[in-house]
Amino acid sequence: MRGLLGELATGKQGEEVTITDMEASIEHMSRATVRHVEAMLIVTEPYFRSLETVGRIAPLAQELGIEHVWAVANKVRSARDEEIIHSYCADHGIEVGGVVQWDEAIQEADREGRALLDYEPAAPAVVSVERIADLLEREMVGTGGNGSSGRGDQS
Amino acid sequence: MKIAVAGKGGSGKTTISATLARVLARRGLRVTAIDGDPNPNLGVALGMSQQRLGNLTRVPKEIMEVKEEGERRTLVLTRPVEEITAEYATTGPDGVNLMVMTGVDHAGAG
Repeated sequence: MRGLLGELATGKQGEEVTITDMEASIEHMSRATVRHVEAMLIVTEPYFRSLETVGRIAPLAQELGIEHVWAVANKVRSARDEEIIHSYCADHGIEVGGVVQWDEAIQEADREGRALLDYEPAAPAVVSVERIADLLEREMVGTGGNGSSGRGDQS
Repeated sequence: MKIAVAGKGGSGKTTISATLARVLARRGLRVTAIDGDPNPNLGVALGMSQQRLGNLTRVPKEIMEVKEEGERRTLVLTRPVEEITAEYATTGPDGVNLMVMTGVDHAGAG
């Protein structure tokens, strides 16, 4: 799958985006499988068990050469929830790339089998994702070019 | 931009992936969304119809094989990428292209 990700990146760059939705799984991450991933967003809920996943995956991702690794806090219901995530990430040297609050609209859209963006275009979660998109566009400028991201692809 | 969105099942990563895909597509980028989750739900989260999703063929594991060169192991495509996208990708809202992978591929592990 991740080889496919890499191959899709050949040809015209800069305006092409691939987004791969994957389960966080150490067993399937290796230099071969993630060599073409430039950024990883690790989604976590404000609970320790969920944060532990970030704690395990983030260092591995970094070690495998993924340039940008961000935690995304999801289902945040309070300032305390947000603080838990920021605190854990700070302790583990992981950047928080976005905070998405708990939103009933997500459940409702899901129940109807519809996209959140269609169900409630102005949902706070959508705004949060727009901010994540801003972050990506800001931080990942200049990683265009077939394999010439400056990383010195060693895999 | 090549982005992976990871997370435990139930963490909400699929909603975030799908929303992000469409947001970026609306900004004029050409977005390909790949569903690599053992329980594929990205299509629905993108807003694709059940009918369209029902007609979608999953990308088979055989599309890739592990090539070993001494110590190095890499995944290589067995067919040109244009062919793969032509056969397996389907276009959804905001022009996002979706491909769904078949089950977990252990051939690439390690």
